[in-house]
Amino acid sequence: MLVFLPTLAEPQHFSLFEKLLFTGLAIASAYGFWRRFGLVLKKILKSKKDPSFHLFPIGKRVWDFFWEVLCQAKVIRERPLPGLAHAFVFWAFCAFALVTLNHCAVVFGIGFLSPAGAIGRLYYYFAAVFALFCAVGIAGLFIRRFLVRPKWLGARLSWESGLIAFLIFVLMATYLASFFVADADPSARTLWWIHTLALLTFLPIIPYTKHLHLLLSPATVFLSRGSFAQIPPLSGDEDFGLVAGTDLTQLVSLQAYSCVECGRCTEHCPAANTGKLLNPKEIILGVRAYLNDLGPSSDQPLLGKYNQQEAVFQCTTCGACEFQCPVGIEHVPILVGLRRGAVNTGAWEDQYGCKLFLALERGSNALGISPAERDKFIQKQQLPIFDGTQEYCLWLGCMGGYDPKGREIVAAFARVMNYLGTSYGVLRKEKCTGDPVRRLGNDLVFQQLAEANLEALAQNKVKKIISICPHCVRTIQEDWKDYGTPPEIEHHSEFLARYAGQLPRQTNPSPASPNPTSPEKIVFHDPCYLGRYRNVYDQPRSVASLAGELVEAPRHRQRSFCCGAGGGLSFLGEETGERVSHVRAAELVATGATTVGTACPFCNSMFRDALDAKGEGAPQLLDIAQLAARGLPPGEAS
Amino acid sequence: MKIIVAIKQVPDRDAQVHIDAAGKWIDESSLQYALNESDAYALEEALQLKEKHGGEVVVVSAGPERVGQTIREALAKGADRAIHIVCDDLGLRDALGVARLLAAAIKPENPDLLLTGLQSEDLGLGQTGVIVAELLGLPHATLILNVEKTETGLKVKRELEEGWFQTIELPTPAVLTIQSGGNKLRYATLMGIKRAKTKEVRQLTAASLGVDAAPVVVLEQVALPQKQKSTQILPGTAKEAAAALVEKLKFEVRVL
Repeated sequence: MLVFLPTLAEPQHFSLFEKLLFTGLAIASAYGFWRRFGLVLKKILKSKKDPSFHLFPIGKRVWDFFWEVLCQAKVIRERPLPGLAHAFVFWAFCAFALVTLNHCAVVFGIGFLSPAGAIGRLYYYFAAVFALFCAVGIAGLFIRRFLVRPKWLGARLSWESGLIAFLIFVLMATYLASFFVADADPSARTLWWIHTLALLTFLPIIPYTKHLHLLLSPATVFLSRGSFAQIPPLSGDEDFGLVAGTDLTQLVSLQAYSCVECGRCTEHCPAANTGKLLNPKEIILGVRAYLNDLGPSSDQPLLGKYNQQEAVFQCTTCGACEFQCPVGIEHVPILVGLRRGAVNTGAWEDQYGCKLFLALERGSNALGISPAERDKFIQKQQLPIFDGTQEYCLWLGCMGGYDPKGREIVAAFARVMNYLGTSYGVLRKEKCTGDPVRRLGNDLVFQQLAEANLEALAQNKVKKIISICPHCVRTIQEDWKDYGTPPEIEHHSEFLARYAGQLPRQTNPSPASPNPTSPEKIVFHDPCYLGRYRNVYDQPRSVASLAGELVEAPRHRQRSFCCGAGGGLSFLGEETGERVSHVRAAELVATGATTVGTACPFCNSMFRDALDAKGEGAPQLLDIAQLAARGLPPGEAS
Repeated sequence: MKIIVAIKQVPDRDAQVHIDAAGKWIDESSLQYALNESDAYALEEALQLKEKHGGEVVVVSAGPERVGQTIREALAKGADRAIHIVCDDLGLRDALGVARLLAAAIKPENPDLLLTGLQSEDLGLGQTGVIVAELLGLPHATLILNVEKTETGLKVKRELEEGWFQTIELPTPAVLTIQSGGNKLRYATLMGIKRAKTKEVRQLTAASLGVDAAPVVVLEQVALPQKQKSTQILPGTAKEAAAALVEKLKFEVRVL
């Protein structure tokens, strides 16, 4: 019968044979570990240096490390149950650092944490709590992986994950069991040896499997580029993006080896969810396989055997993958980097892409329309021309200047600004910000556009820009930085939210809505470039709520599902598989909303087609500027 | 195959054109320039022939310093080297004068094929290519959409009126003027631009070529077209209006 002894059993004396055996096994284990880990480390360190990497400001890095690694916040938030189970395992590992060191030290009689002492006793109890949770956690994760089998973990059953789970369970079980035996009991020695063997088996397995993340991912999170979906500048005359192994930077290699294959990126990827070839997890694993087979000094192309060009050009750059990744992998710069490699060297041949590039090499807008049409629109709407005296430069963008629906959004927003008495003006000439070519990887055209626009804005002495397009906002504020200092810019949702108190709140049902008898329910679709890219979620909602009652789609805010337009894809040809826009539109329609609210002219154009396809009874589609303008008293139009 | 492509830099089609003070030419001070469209197709054809059969593509262009930019773009797209005939009075030279410059620069190169766009977007004379052929004493064909190399020379597809095409054969060396739209143009790449920096651009002048500037055709005046609006509303039922429209298109406008 077991008697509970509130002390951890610790064998007191080890024979010479035991000491030699332990030493031998420990050396073998460490050797097995280093043989692989040393190689991985070498491949990472031999990769090209990241030219634009700065350790400072370090505050954010420390915070991310604390929050995402130590607190496991992202792991838990995005997948609460398995996330918590993982956190228990992680925290137990941290708590066990001392326990394990002492465990090994006692062989040589140099144990430093006596189970009988007050501190030791306290610490062992502390660790026991973690051990208990960890054992439950790892058992849960084992059940999830081998019985529940969520498809995001991949079709292949990972036996090594099973073995790891088993070893962790054994470590915890043997530790806990040691509380139930006495030091002198032979079973104490047996438990000690089982624990030791599990430990020494565990160590060399780590670098050979995805469990490498346990060593690398804390570094990956700490060393990330620092801002979301940041595309690094090219360096020197021979940098064309990710063409071959020699272009892989240390950060990219570190990230490739950090992937834990959890599949969260793929679970949230609009391309992977609509039957396309792209699978962001496989992209990262493709880079890893390249590094394993060829290494960072190879001049073999990255696209071809290991990753496919077609897949890379299916990315909408929505950033859901990067946002979800718990180990700090930055998918967007890698995907865009691979595109840059293909486009900057001319390897990508695509009828539509080529047409877009040629339109922007020579013309001014991505739609390939004559700028005279923009002039006509400005005249017709009587939009004031920016002359340096106004507060805001209203940036029209390609959609606002040339697309019929985009123009309606601009017109509505201008009405609101007129109502508020805001002074603004539009530039006589504007070129595309370069968003689609930037995301498609055409650095040549992007640079030309960015430089031309920066010069025009400086000449016009523009201090503040406002735009209806989150893509313009992002590109001007972040991407142009490689070529100059862009003026301050904000999205119209931020502006409108600031003045929401001064705008009329429409009664619900609103007499201005197309169906004035039924209450208006508005579902707001978060544009990727406003939400995940800019962290703006509440402002457009506060504007939309002026016009009716808000409802939410199942995937909203940070988890919003892309409309399919980003990454230059709205200019490319027909998608394979289902259309992303149709999948998202169906989700929005299913909320029972009478109105779909958008805050991006690209989302608007994608849903326009998708909702038209739904036919009768489909909700109406309005930008938040249109929703705000609807409540204005008549006659306020300029 | 050694192919020479004669290209021209023209005002960008989005540019607002103004007449200069003398009324003899356009005001070039605030214009943006680009490669003439059909010349872009000529270059594309040359690059594709080179990719298929090997050889060299040399671009030649006449015009002031700013033409260097367009020459660099052509080199970036894949031309191997360039000849820049530097002259500031291109607008004042007639087609014969420009053709003499080009012919003088091209002659010592002894190309197998000379390609150029069928006409320029600015003047639209459509003569330069054929005059160069005459000056060099070479056979030529115009309005070409497609070029194939045969054992004896070339097989080319010409665009005729009303959707008709003509296929003809001619020996090399020859001069072809290329119609827009026969190929898909390639986009300029960053790598191309960087590589173009090290490619040779030889600068010549009218004087060094021994060609004088005296034009045969003298430009008297240039003017912007007068805007004319003559909208007519045709009254009556749809049937009556349609009949009246056909009548007008046939006998007044003479397009049917």
